[in-house]
Parts: sequence; C-alpha cells; structure tokens
Amino acid sequence: MSDVGRTGKGLLSGYFGLLVLFLYAPLVVLLVFAFNDGNIPTLPIKSFSTKWFTAAFADTPLIQALIRSALIAVINGLAATLLGLMAAVSLARKRLPLRGVVMALILLPLVVPYIVLAVGLVVLLHELGITTSLIAVLAGHVVISLPYSVLVILPRLRTLDSSIVEAAADLGASELKAFLLVTVPLLAPAMLSSFLIAFTVSFDEFAIASFLAPPGSPTYPIYLYAGARTPALLPEVIAMGSIVITISILAIIAADFARRWAERRVAAPEGGSILG
Amino acid sequence: MTATTVEAFPRRARRWPLWLSSRAFARFLTAATPSLYVVLLLIVPVVLIALYSFGLKTNPAAGSATGFSTANWSDFLTGAGNPFRGRFFTSLIVTLAVSCIAVLGAYPLAYFLAFVARRHRYTILLIILAPFFTSYLLRVVAWEVILNNDGVINSLLWTLHLRAHGHAITWLIYSKFSVALVLFYAWVPFVALPIFVVLDNLDRRLLDASHDLGATRLTTFFRVTLPLSLPGVIAGFVFVLIPTTGEFIAPLLVGGPSSQLFGNSIQAFFSDTPDWNYGSVLAITLVVVVVILLAIFGRFINTDLTEQAAT
Repeated sequence: MSDVGRTGKGLLSGYFGLLVLFLYAPLVVLLVFAFNDGNIPTLPIKSFSTKWFTAAFADTPLIQALIRSALIAVINGLAATLLGLMAAVSLARKRLPLRGVVMALILLPLVVPYIVLAVGLVVLLHELGITTSLIAVLAGHVVISLPYSVLVILPRLRTLDSSIVEAAADLGASELKAFLLVTVPLLAPAMLSSFLIAFTVSFDEFAIASFLAPPGSPTYPIYLYAGARTPALLPEVIAMGSIVITISILAIIAADFARRWAERRVAAPEGGSILG
Repeated sequence: MTATTVEAFPRRARRWPLWLSSRAFARFLTAATPSLYVVLLLIVPVVLIALYSFGLKTNPAAGSATGFSTANWSDFLTGAGNPFRGRFFTSLIVTLAVSCIAVLGAYPLAYFLAFVARRHRYTILLIILAPFFTSYLLRVVAWEVILNNDGVINSLLWTLHLRAHGHAITWLIYSKFSVALVLFYAWVPFVALPIFVVLDNLDRRLLDASHDLGATRLTTFFRVTLPLSLPGVIAGFVFVLIPTTGEFIAPLLVGGPSSQLFGNSIQAFFSDTPDWNYGSVLAITLVVVVVILLAIFGRFINTDLTEQAAT
C-alpha cells in the first residue's frame, strides 16, 4: 500500500512547491535588485545595470570587511576542526574519565544564546584587561563552531572499522602514526564538512563580532548591518550580497557532490544529511 | 589534510619528546584542551555575568559601588510595571508562537520528504536546507527589501493598481508580524530535519499493519504515524525555541519599537549603557530560561544525539 493517497500526494507536493518558493524568494529578490538601476529597491524596475557591482567593488571598506571575515572564517574553520577532532577522538575512546562532563561542555555552546556569550566575552576581556580585537572575535567563533565540528566528526569516527587501525598497529605503527596515516585520511570528508560549517558559522556571525570587533575594523556582517540601515549604501550591499549568496549556494552544492564522491571512495555507510 | 601530504610523512618512526610519548598524558591533553577552551571562554564568562548581576563586580564606567546586592534582580522580578519583565513575556510569547508555527509548517514538508519524495529525498533535503547555510543577515536584509513601505510587496500592489499608490500596508514591516515571519522563514527548514529523520526511519510494517486492520489513511496518520513521530516534533520545536530566545538581529532590521525582543534589551544594555549589572540580570535570566527548557525537553535532544553518535 502506498503511504499517501493521490489527493494527499497532490496537496503535499503543492505545499512543497510553495515552501520552496517562499524559501528562495528572498534570495531571488536580492539577485534581481542587484541589477536594479534605481537607487531604491522598489518595483517596477525601470532599467537594469551592473553599476552597483562596480560601486561595491570600488568600496574599499566593504572589500576590507569581506577579506577580514574570510580570513577569520578560514582560521576558525581550521582551529574548530582541530579542536573538534581532539574532542571527537577522546569521546570515541572506550574509556574516558568524566565522559559526560566532556560531552556536556562540548555541546554547551549550542544552547547558550549568542547574545549571552557575546556580552560574557566583553566582560571577560574587561576582566583580563584586554581590548577588543579581531582575535577575540575569532576566539568566540571557535567556541560556537566546536560543537558542530564534533557532531560531524564523532559519528564518522564511530563508523570506522577499528580493525584497520589495529592492523596498522600490528604492522608496527605507533598509536600516533596509525592515527595520522590511517584514521585522519579516513576522516577527511568529515573534517572537510566540519571546516565548511565552521567557516560558514564564522563568516555570517554578527552577535559576537558586533561586540568584540574593534571600531574601525568591522567584519562583513557588521558592515552589512550598517549598510542595510543606510539607504545610500543599500544597493551596493545588495549587489555584494547577491554575489556572496551565489557563491554560498554553489559551495553547498559542490560540497555535497564532494561528500558523496568521498563517501563512495571511503565506502563508509551512508551518512544521511549534508550535515554529516 | 590530503592523503598525499600524509604519505609524504617520513616512514621511519620518529622519536617524540618524552612528555608526549607518555600515552596517558597525550590522551589527557587531547580531551582536556577542547574542554578547557569551553570552560575558559564560555563557563567563565557566564559566571562573571552572574557575579555582575549580583553587584559583586561592576563596570568602573557605571560608577556604582561594588558589593552584594539583589536590588537589580528584585527590580526586574517584582518592580511594578518593569518594562524589561514585560518585554521578557512578550518575547517569550513571540518565540513560542514562532516555534509552534514552524513545527506546523515543517511537518508536511518532512512528511513529503519521507513519504512522497522517497527516491530523491536527500537531494530535495539539500534544496530545502541550502538557504539555511547562506548568510542569515543577508536573508533578513532581503526580507526588509520585500516588506518595506516601498518594498517589493507594497510596490507590486501599487503597480498592479490593487492599492492606492503611496499607501503601504503598515503592519508588513516594523511589526511583530515581520519579526515572526522572518524567524519562521529562518527556522522552518531546520525544524523539518529531526521530523524527517524520525519519519524516514519509521517501521513501514506498522503502517501496513494499520491498513490491513482496516484503518483509513487518515486514521493511520493520527493514530500511528503522528504519535510515533512526536520525538522528532519535540526536537524540532526545541531546535527553534532555544536559539530564538536570544534573538535580536531580526528585530533590529525588520522590527519596530514595539516588536523588539528580550535579546535586544540585553544588547542595548551592554552596547549603549555602562550599566552591565542590570544587563547581566537580563542575560542570566536568558540562561535560566534555557536551563529550564533543557530540563523539560533535554531528553528528547539527548536521545537524538546519542542515536546520532551511536550510528
């Protein structure tokens, strides 16, 4: 028996179509208005031009903010993946003292509201007598990326066949060597996912950055926020935003293809979502 | 790290420093480093905020005396007509409403993925989730462009002569509606995820059995499928509720003065005033809310995570 009747199927498909429209409408709006010749994003669009792209690329503070954010996001991706790998390896161990505590600590950043973490870090910096800096922003981003990294790497680590590592040990590899030469390459797809998620988390993060980025060196989201509230800047913010959105969507598709390809190579069991 | 760089490693066993060759110590470091990182950058800050909320620490710029005091707490909790308490409850109602609507909106989507789009469900899941991985801030800006007084919806209505030119629909932006709409938009695909996982792993034989015993499709849905999918529903509900309790970005861009959320109060205290003590009371309130939510719903997320970790 089919689980859904014909009417049900029609209704569900219709609903799905509407929801996809709803989910993509804002993205399409950004893409369309990026080419709007006018100064305010309103209908009807009288003529199209690429002048706002030219304006956006000529806007040095915007480009600098983008570079700043990309740099922080890359370092965050690497740092969070490394720390996440350490945590996952520990949690995958058969015996780990205080396992529950370690697990709780690692997952905690998922449930603490970013605004609380942001003001907490402001207070911590004040306590330590440190001024706000981009390094502080990065440090905060690593905290919020860590749980995602562990949630991506740990399940993959658990599916690894332990006999492969044992074989490496039997063939004379030290524990560290077996880990670096056998386990890490097998974890590469998960580590790549972890890097990409951590990159995305950082690149888009506003709450922590708005409190910890020093005046004069805004990250891209901070610039974006200021630009969205300044009518004169809005058109070029939309133009640059449409580029960022397009690159993100392409990267997501590419990452998913890469993941499927890597999974076939590693021949690990089907992971399921793109989060895996 | 790619496979080639790993193979480029020297084949001979290298001598590691003595302290690293101690296996137990290396293992300790591996577990302790990420844990201590979270303690230092998350637990310590929250403890500091708690100290501020009781006046045990003060921001020198505020000029108030340091010393144990519950004045701010009692003002927030019991002060007559306290505006922050009022905003707290309004905010709670908005986030609860958004979470419920997001679950209602996500359920048919998850059901479609699990039962209609069977073969291509992972590809379709990717289509649904892709916007979620693009910039949240940019999507909120896009909604601002759509809902604005001279934005896409209003100007479209004018162009089609469905509404007198220049007369915008006032509640479209800077309202509770616009804040709730943006939050619903942001979370609906994510809520569908846990519901989909539960539905996808549902034992189909139970549905067949229900059918064989004479139940209609609707009866089967309400008496078998829906009850069995409740853990996913609750997980999805909590997935929206917890992050939105501290939300302040959407109200900044599409909210008006009356639709600011509790998170905005916290943000305002720390960025616009030196009164970190009162701001800390509000921040700790949010932490308490999350702790209560986790105490009620935590086991649903917990089972999910252990299941995920076990597979």
